Amino acid sequence: MDFVSNTGEQAKEMLQAIGVENINSLLTAIPEAIQLDPPVKDDGLSEYEGMRHMEALAAKNTFPSFDHYLGAGAYDHHTPAYLSAICQKSEFLTAYTPYQAEASQGMLQTIFEFQSAVCALTGMDVSNASVYDAANACAEAVLMAKRQQKKRRKVLIGASLHPHYRGVVDQYLESQDVDLVTVPFRSDGTLDIDFLEEAVDEDTVCVLLQYPNFFGVIDQMEEVSARVKKHEALFILCANPLVYGLYQSAGELGADIAVGDMQPFGLPLQFGGPYVGYIACRQGLVRQMPGRIVGETFDTEGRRGFVLTLQAREQHIRREKATSNICSNQALAALATLLGVLWYGPEGVKKLALTNYQRSAYLKEKLTAIPGISAYSNAPHLNEFVIRTEGPLDALIERCEKEKIVPGLPLERYFPNMKNHLLVCATEKKSKEQLDRLIEVAGRG
Amino acid sequence: MVKTLFEKSQKGQKAYSLPKEDEAFTSFQPPQEYLRETPIPLPEVSEIDLTRHYSGLAQRNMGIDTHFYPLGSCTMKLNPRVNEWAAALPGFTRTHPLAPDEMVQGNLQLIDETLAFLCDLCGMEAGSLNQNAGAQGEFVGIRMIAAYHREKGESHRNELLIPDSAHGTNPATAVMAGFKTVSIPTDENGDIDLEKLKAACSENTAGLMLTNPNTVGLFSPVIMQIAQIVHEAGGLLYYDGANLNPMMGIVRPGDMGFDVMHINLHKTFSTPHGGGGPGSGPVLCKKRLEPYLPVPRVREEQDGYGIEWSNGTSIGEISSFHGNFAIYLRAYLYMKLHGVYGLRRIAEMAVLNANYLKARLGHLFTIPYSQPCMHEFVVQADNYLDKGVKALDIAKRLLDYGIHAPTIYFPLIVKECMLIEPTESESLATLDHFVEVMEKIVEEIHSDPELVKSAPHSMPATRLDEVKAAKEPILKASSEQCACC
Amino acid sequence: MKYTESHEWIDLEDNIGTVGVTDYAQKELGDIVYVELPEVGTEVNAGDEVAVLESTKAAADIYAPVGGTIVEVNKALNDKPEEINQSPMEDGWLFKIEIQKMEELDQLMNESEYLETVQ
Repeated sequence: MDFVSNTGEQAKEMLQAIGVENINSLLTAIPEAIQLDPPVKDDGLSEYEGMRHMEALAAKNTFPSFDHYLGAGAYDHHTPAYLSAICQKSEFLTAYTPYQAEASQGMLQTIFEFQSAVCALTGMDVSNASVYDAANACAEAVLMAKRQQKKRRKVLIGASLHPHYRGVVDQYLESQDVDLVTVPFRSDGTLDIDFLEEAVDEDTVCVLLQYPNFFGVIDQMEEVSARVKKHEALFILCANPLVYGLYQSAGELGADIAVGDMQPFGLPLQFGGPYVGYIACRQGLVRQMPGRIVGETFDTEGRRGFVLTLQAREQHIRREKATSNICSNQALAALATLLGVLWYGPEGVKKLALTNYQRSAYLKEKLTAIPGISAYSNAPHLNEFVIRTEGPLDALIERCEKEKIVPGLPLERYFPNMKNHLLVCATEKKSKEQLDRLIEVAGRG
Repeated sequence: MVKTLFEKSQKGQKAYSLPKEDEAFTSFQPPQEYLRETPIPLPEVSEIDLTRHYSGLAQRNMGIDTHFYPLGSCTMKLNPRVNEWAAALPGFTRTHPLAPDEMVQGNLQLIDETLAFLCDLCGMEAGSLNQNAGAQGEFVGIRMIAAYHREKGESHRNELLIPDSAHGTNPATAVMAGFKTVSIPTDENGDIDLEKLKAACSENTAGLMLTNPNTVGLFSPVIMQIAQIVHEAGGLLYYDGANLNPMMGIVRPGDMGFDVMHINLHKTFSTPHGGGGPGSGPVLCKKRLEPYLPVPRVREEQDGYGIEWSNGTSIGEISSFHGNFAIYLRAYLYMKLHGVYGLRRIAEMAVLNANYLKARLGHLFTIPYSQPCMHEFVVQADNYLDKGVKALDIAKRLLDYGIHAPTIYFPLIVKECMLIEPTESESLATLDHFVEVMEKIVEEIHSDPELVKSAPHSMPATRLDEVKAAKEPILKASSEQCACC
Repeated sequence: MKYTESHEWIDLEDNIGTVGVTDYAQKELGDIVYVELPEVGTEVNAGDEVAVLESTKAAADIYAPVGGTIVEVNKALNDKPEEINQSPMEDGWLFKIEIQKMEELDQLMNESEYLETVQ
């Protein structure tokens, strides 16, 4: 099938108006040697067949039938039902980028409100309209810091930053005039603050750390912040935004740039994307911000309205000198996370964060009480933590999978010396029954 | 006056619900000294008020479902709802990106088949779906070219040739990837001048970034020579796939001589624009660039599919996980429904619709290029400057007639430019209506130019003060009314 | 007063040149909303990018017409960038430069030569 409206009837009329015999006369600029013959057989499907095909493909995924405890940047939270009702509205789903402001006041206002919500959560002054994901946000933030601190070269990055985020930062920074220095973590997953103290100096552009970090550990960020600021380096904090419902905000911690992913606020796992990267900063850095920003203004009748602003930074105007090559943002996905945040509201975000904390704390206590399983760290956490098995981790995983449980993410692939370490995440979706079941199965070893 | 949701806060109101607390949990309390001390200035709003607010905003917005969007270079075709249905299947939405390979075979098969289909369609041999947008696709493609030259000991190749008519992302990407840009002037046909291209090639040439058809909608008849010149100079060719719509099933970028390319799924493959995103930018390449493709990669193995998280030659990661999976899932279904047969029909009709409009608008505007266009064409609206009416004004007046403006002032090489792309979706009646509306607007330019110059009049807003927005930026809602708790 | 191809003017008093952009430039740019000025004390060569003028639809790089040291910048533009539109040749001046090589001025155009280029 296809969605082409015009058929032979209309085609005839149009060819006549153009003054040609057939469509091939319009394709003469294409060298004949590389022109393909039109396909003879229709290899498409009817809508019904297409739908059955997708159902069959989805059925090949057995993961949804497991009770899983995976996190690591992709979190399994409840998606409020009204999200899809709003996001599937024609005028949001099928709208173009709001360059023609008069025709896009709806979308522009949602972006403005998204920016406001990100500022509310992070405690920062300004946010943009979103970037692709957390990894991209980290990379863009470091580039931003470098633009602001042109003469400096040293970029400090925590070794406890999500390895995939670090991979993307490396990708974007490779051709820049910077020196990437990794700040190690201690044996309990907390940041080596002494190393940081030594390393931060007059040549430091910025320090990028994750909160909670990849191991779910909450570092002593006030200590970190003080050391970073001593030499006027920029403090970039990468955080699961849910952390701000419980723990100190980026603003309170003196961060200069706050980045992360809004996915926890209502986007399903959907195999890793689309998610929603956020970047927020303090007022003084706004002109270095990449991507779209929406601002408030008035129209000729004096009515309040919204427009894309500070566009001179962007690729379509600045070209080579743009702050970034970013063109599209995550618009519709950002709208979904905005709706998620607002559904919870100030009270709900706090309760959501607390219940995530409590359920995972319960699980952590009970799991580490099992002989042969210990806690990797006693530092505070949000909803993720790492456990260690004395015996081979595989045995635990196998036992769990037989009971249709995926108990967590083995860390060996990321840190080869963490052979029997498992990153476990428990959100508000886990009932006591589910948690107790995992504890029971884990205890059978 | 329009209120933001932050101004609709009413104390104590809420929408959320959470599972009831269990005694077993409540004894766990986080350490006091790390707790947040400042309020979270979010509004307190019930679900009905949230729903009304956002439904109201939707009514203050245009979309393809409701309006014709002849936006050149954007390919605003129908966003089929069957794609939305597929993307919402729990079998897909509930899959975690780090799940064990054997538990997500459906997803891995989808990725593998999508790449195979696209490679076949485009004359390429391998690819990656990890890029979250066309701009990221460009960045990855250019980084792969850099890796290729580095492996061959030719890192001195640090110049990328880019036509002056190129989309802004091209030079921005080149610089981001560490290259210098060399601008190639285009001739009066918007085509690359071969002599100037030869002169610009040197031992420092890493490659050429090009879209074909070009940004004025014309297919370059000398594309094979362009490819030869650059290859002979030791450079590689990058294809910006933004204009792929009229090419599908007719000619393949790989056969034109391109080495690596990206596709914009939110253009050619109908994934929804969503008010600016999310997009998706698959990268496809020839065998010699395959080693450099980003990770993770999906590999077909004896007993199914597996994910390769790292390898020795890849340029590394480009996104947090596997890219915008739920977006390329939509494109996958679109490909399956059409087959190459249907995609060819799309390409032919995109070309036919565009040439028809071009023929019908010739009496209203200057058409700088008389030869057949591909899926889009430019008109110059400079013949109304004597009345003080510019392309911008005509674009705004179109909104009053329920048609979204075409792309204006791009590409930069044509004066008072309007770039028009009807896409294959639109029926003849819609196209004829567009011509009628343009005729009416031209009549108005003669009889009442002020009406056009001050348009739009029937939108939720009249022209907005962009200078004020840039000089005195207000970038977030005031949260005075929000409860501080 | 001398002019460059990139629409800067330079007005001399001994070896100090005041630099701004021409009326043509400010018209092309439209309403200027932000100015990025160089730091006092910066040493520049002729043709170096020293400032950026931002409007809602464009961002223009401003180049040093001659080599030298930046000795003063027009701080008033931080609050009132629109001065450049209103008075490009006088109150909208951008910066003052202590000229290193006076001969470099010979490379520039005089008023009638410049006006010809923007005809």
